[in-house]
Order: sequence, then structure tokens, then C-alpha cells
Amino acid sequence: MPDAPAPRLVYDALLITSHHDFYKPAVAPRVAELGLGAALVAELVLSGHLAVWSSDGSKLAPRDIGVAPPTDSLGLWLTELVRAEPEPLPVPEWLDFLAVSDLYAKTADHMVTTGLMHRTERRSRWRKASQVSYEPADALVAQAPLARIRRHLSSMEHRMPLADAFLVALTEAVGLSKSLYSQTPYGAREYALSHTRSLPAPLQSVHGHLAAAVADTAITGNF
Amino acid sequence: MPATSAPPSAVRSTLAHDKLGTFSLLHFSLTAATPLTVIAGGVVVMFAVAGQIGIPLGYIVIAACLWLFSVGYTTMSRHITNAGAMYAFIARGLGRIPGVAAAWVAATSYCAMQASLYGLLGVTAEGVLASAGLTVPWWAAALVAWLLIGLLGTRAVDINAKVLAVLLVVEIAVILLFSASNFANPADGLSLAPLSPTALGGEAAGAVLALAVVGFIGFESPTVYGEEARDRRRTVARATVATIGILAFIYIASSWSIITAVGEDDVVAAAAADPTGLMFSLAGDQLGDAWGTIGRVLLLTSVTAAALSFHNTTARYLFALGREQVVTAKLGLTSVRACAPWAASLAQTAVGGIVIVVWAVLGLDPELHLFYYLGTSAGIGLLALITACAFAVVVYFWRDRQGESLWHTRIAPVLACVALAGVLFLSVLHFHTLLGVEQGSPLPRLVPIVFAALALLGAGWAAYLKRAKPDVYSGIGYGAKATLVQGTGDVKVSAEVARGR
Repeated sequence: MPDAPAPRLVYDALLITSHHDFYKPAVAPRVAELGLGAALVAELVLSGHLAVWSSDGSKLAPRDIGVAPPTDSLGLWLTELVRAEPEPLPVPEWLDFLAVSDLYAKTADHMVTTGLMHRTERRSRWRKASQVSYEPADALVAQAPLARIRRHLSSMEHRMPLADAFLVALTEAVGLSKSLYSQTPYGAREYALSHTRSLPAPLQSVHGHLAAAVADTAITGNF
Repeated sequence: MPATSAPPSAVRSTLAHDKLGTFSLLHFSLTAATPLTVIAGGVVVMFAVAGQIGIPLGYIVIAACLWLFSVGYTTMSRHITNAGAMYAFIARGLGRIPGVAAAWVAATSYCAMQASLYGLLGVTAEGVLASAGLTVPWWAAALVAWLLIGLLGTRAVDINAKVLAVLLVVEIAVILLFSASNFANPADGLSLAPLSPTALGGEAAGAVLALAVVGFIGFESPTVYGEEARDRRRTVARATVATIGILAFIYIASSWSIITAVGEDDVVAAAAADPTGLMFSLAGDQLGDAWGTIGRVLLLTSVTAAALSFHNTTARYLFALGREQVVTAKLGLTSVRACAPWAASLAQTAVGGIVIVVWAVLGLDPELHLFYYLGTSAGIGLLALITACAFAVVVYFWRDRQGESLWHTRIAPVLACVALAGVLFLSVLHFHTLLGVEQGSPLPRLVPIVFAALALLGAGWAAYLKRAKPDVYSGIGYGAKATLVQGTGDVKVSAEVARGR
């Protein structure tokens, strides 16, 4: 029985969407949560734990054949939630749900246990509740995912791994095109587009619904 | 044995907590309308232009037309995506080519309406600052407001909504106070003549009805939030009808109160003598000078809010068109930190800036040539858009009633079509009255010709897209969800999206 992969896609998505530095801003919190949700769903689709029924309105369903449950708590949490639903729900509903489920904190806590992030708790003098913040353990680690996919776009030598191709599509969908393509050679966009178009149908569906959800957020301003 | 119900969905239960109720939608739609601008900048001008006292009746007629229209409109919004834009209704009802034609007319009309408000804004600011002893040209004040609106426009819509909500509450309170004061100080007692059918007629009827429609723009906003509504079937319809009802009450009460305070025989002359100041002069006389000044300052904030509201609507239209790639895809870009449609917003800001500069350089009158000519012309475009949308609703449900009632799909939409087509016909026929020029002058003919040319160009562009870019053509009318239908190969979309023509 194959081992469940480490949830790397969702870590990369968090660092790309929520970490800001001189070269790249963080996206709006709602958009970051949508991006994290899409990354987690995509990761579980890639690991064979979830399926997207493209023929029936892009519904998310569990896959029970020949795959052990995810070994990480994050993946297990979502898989069990999907399994617990009385009937499969469309991907947009799952993205909406994940966006209000504090997925950022869940993922960041997960990354704290793996040593990728530090958790800081500050007690406010004026407020009774304490404020929790997360910082990457290392600036280089924080920049690594974007640097990696930009390297693909700069060299354009080989086909990108599937997870990185999805990450490129996700980075563009959340509005970080400028950071993604800055100083990349001519043809980088076409190279990325060809990868996005050749994503498997379930991942294309997740990407399409993510882009639509981000655009909806911009139109309604409903954060 | 009792029937067993399906176990509840934990995901849907969680999402239900965040759904928007009728009051939330009402908040969004009422903030898109700015009643003080309509009353002080529009109603009093209507008395002067129309030369008759049937304004309250005009608002009753238009409110009834829009209520009929809203029945089919909100019903159709439940069955389509991108339900916030009227061109999307037209694309789904009449086809993509008329849809793009409507989109071009809509974007131009909203853009022109927003730019026209800089004229009123500049003149109002000039007056307020002059009363404080400061001499500032109208264009300088307009440019300051333009900068503020441009900055707010690139921020997230929720920040704008908060600003607009505060202004709206203050505006409505002041309007109700002024109206109550007018009714408490009648010139000749309370008259029912403004509500008599004979009060609205002649060559000015179309002008009154066209201007009345403009006051309700924003009533269509609840459909934007259809997917986030608590009960998509009822919440959106309730909020739309409530918006029409509340605005109608405010407009009818305030216009009737002005007639009551000035007297039905004198109101036309008084309005012609002081088109934007009559309401505040009355408040100053009845409640004290301070209230007149408060009213003028609030008119300034109200016009700013109106300009911001139209700015947001225009940016939303351009953004949706950018996402569909019907116009350049760059207009579909969002700002990273605020997730606002910044490229579309900047485009609208650029147009507004160019208009102010051109009007200032040419020395044109900001009130007559900018606010009034451009604003009323945009009003005709928006009326044509609503009418086309009414026809689209009829055609859409003629093909398939989608399980909706006869009233919602046939009777009310057909009645709305007839009523709105009549209003549009009268408005175009009497457009010279609206502009205050002689019948046969070139300007009243030019405006419908410009809109017709825009529609033809839009239709031509759509026909080109159909042949040269079928991917883009397939996404017309889908707005934010266009990516789900354009060039996605094997991706299957929801049944609703798949049903699109």
C-alpha cells in the first residue's frame, strides 16, 4: 500500500499566498484561504484520496479503492469531512467552506510541528484574547516554493511536475501573476498556460473554480 | 412509521451561518442609491424641466414598472451565473451577440453617468466653499473628489460599502426631516393634485419618467449577491422589492413635500430659479439657516457617494468583461492585497479624469453640459438596458419556465416589457424636453444614434469573437465564471452553466 505523500502542496500554497517579502506581497486573507483550500483538495486528488466527478457539476467525493487514509491530520480532516457528507458536494461549496474553516491556522500549526514555521502568541494589553501569528522559520524556506516554480518558468527546459504545474496555476489564480512572471523570459506565460491546459481534468476543475471564486470575491467584496 | 429525513450536511450548515439575509442585501442595494443626490440634484430639476407637478406620480409609475420588472428579473437570476450584470441576462435570454451589444451600451452608460456626477460635484463644492469665503474653481474641487474616488475604488468593495452606508443613513434622516418640515409648513394646504393622472402628461411626460428611472439605479444590486443569499429563492426578491419600495417612498414623499411647501402654482418657477438649492432654501427658511448649510454639505457627500457607487458598478462591469476576455483581459486583474478590480477601477478613473480636464479646458458649463447633458444621455442608455433585459427575461422563460410560476415567468415579465418599452419610447420621443432644447435639434437625435452605433459595434465585435475566438465567445455572459467554460478542454461545469446558450 503506498504511503500518503507529505502535504507539500498546501505548505507551498501557504508560503506563496500568505508570506510577504520585498519581492512578493501576501494576498487578501479570504483569497489566501481559498488558495489553501484549493491546494489541499488538489493534494488529496493527486494522492488518490479524493476524486472530482467532472461529469456531474464538479462534485468532490472520497475514493475508497486501494488507498490508505492520509497519514497527516490535515489531509485526514478533509477526507473524513468529505466522507461524512450525505452526498457529494460541488467543489465551489468546498472552497467556500474551507475559506471559513480557518485553514490558514490549521496549515500553519501543521507546519510548526514540521519545523517550517514559528508560532508566536502575544497577549494584548487592551484585548483579553491573545493574538497568534506565524512566521516562516527561515526566509529562504519561505521563498523556496515561488523560487522553484519561477525557475521552471525561466528555464522552460522540461515539463514541470504535476504539483508544480498546479502551483503555477494557483499562484496566477490568486492574483500573483506579477510576482510569478517578473523578469521571466519571453514565452514563460505560454509555457505556464500549456501546463495549466494539460492538467488532469479534476485539477483543471479545482483551478477553474478557484479563479472563479477569487473573481467573485473581487466583484462582491464579500470577505 | 415516520419518514426518515436525510442526515444534514455539516458543510452546508457551516456555510449557512455566513449567508446574507434580506437586510444585508438591502444594505448593499440602498448604498448603491444616493437619495439626496436624486432629490436635490434631480427632483427639483425635474420640476423646472418638465414644467409640471406630476413628479410624485412619475415615481409611482416607475416604481410599479420596476416592481413588475423585478419579478421576472429576480426569478431569472436564480437560474444563471453572473447574475449581477444585466448584459449577462441579455446574453442568456437573447443570445451572446445582443449580450455583448448590451455590455457596450451598459459600460458606456455607467461610465458616462459616473463622469457626469463630477459636474454636479464640482458645482456643489464650489458653492459650499464660496459660502465659507473660499474661491475654488469647480474643476479643482472635482479633481479632489476624483482622486478620492479613484483611491477608494482600488480598495476592496467592503470598505466602500461602509463609507456609503454611513452617508446613506445621514442622508435619509435629513431627507425625512426636510420633508416632514415641508409638510408642516404648507403654502396652500396639502394638495392631492400632484397625484392626479392629469398632473403627468404632454411633451414632458417622457422626460419625467426617464429621470425617475435614474433615481432607482442600484435596485438591481441584490442579484449580485444571489449565491451568498440565505434563501436564493426569496431573499434576493424581497431585498429588490424592498429597495424599490423604500426609494419610491422617499422620492414620492420628498417631491410631494416640496410641492406642498412652495405651492403647486409656484413650484415650477421656484425650481427654475434655483434648481439645486430650492430644497435647502426651504429647509433654511423653516428650520434655520444652519440646516440649509448642513443640507448643502450633505449634498456634496451624497454626490461623492453617488460617484463612488457608479464607479464601483462601472468597475464591476469592466472587470467581468475583462474576465470574459470580451475586452482586454487586463481589465480582469485584481489587486493582490485588497482583491479589488483595480485595473477596471483605474480605467474608469482615467476616463473620469479626462472628462474633467476636457470640460475645464474647453470652458464648458459643469452643471448643464456635464452633469445634465451627459447624465441624462446616460439615463437613456440605462433605460434601454433595463428594457432589453426585460425582453431577455421574457424570451428566456418562453423557452423553458424552469418550474417557475406563470406569474413570475410570463405575466409579470410581459407586463414589464410593455411598460418599460412605453417609458423608453416616450423618453426618446421627449428627449429634447429632457435636454431643454428645441424639437428637431441635433443633440436629442445624436444620443440615441450614438447608443445604437455602440450596440452595433458591440454586436459586430461579438460576431468576430464567434468566428475568430470561439473559446472567448463561449464564456460571454459568465463573468467571474467565464474560465469554467473557456478553453477548459475536459472540464465539465455545473448543469446550470452547461445549459447556457
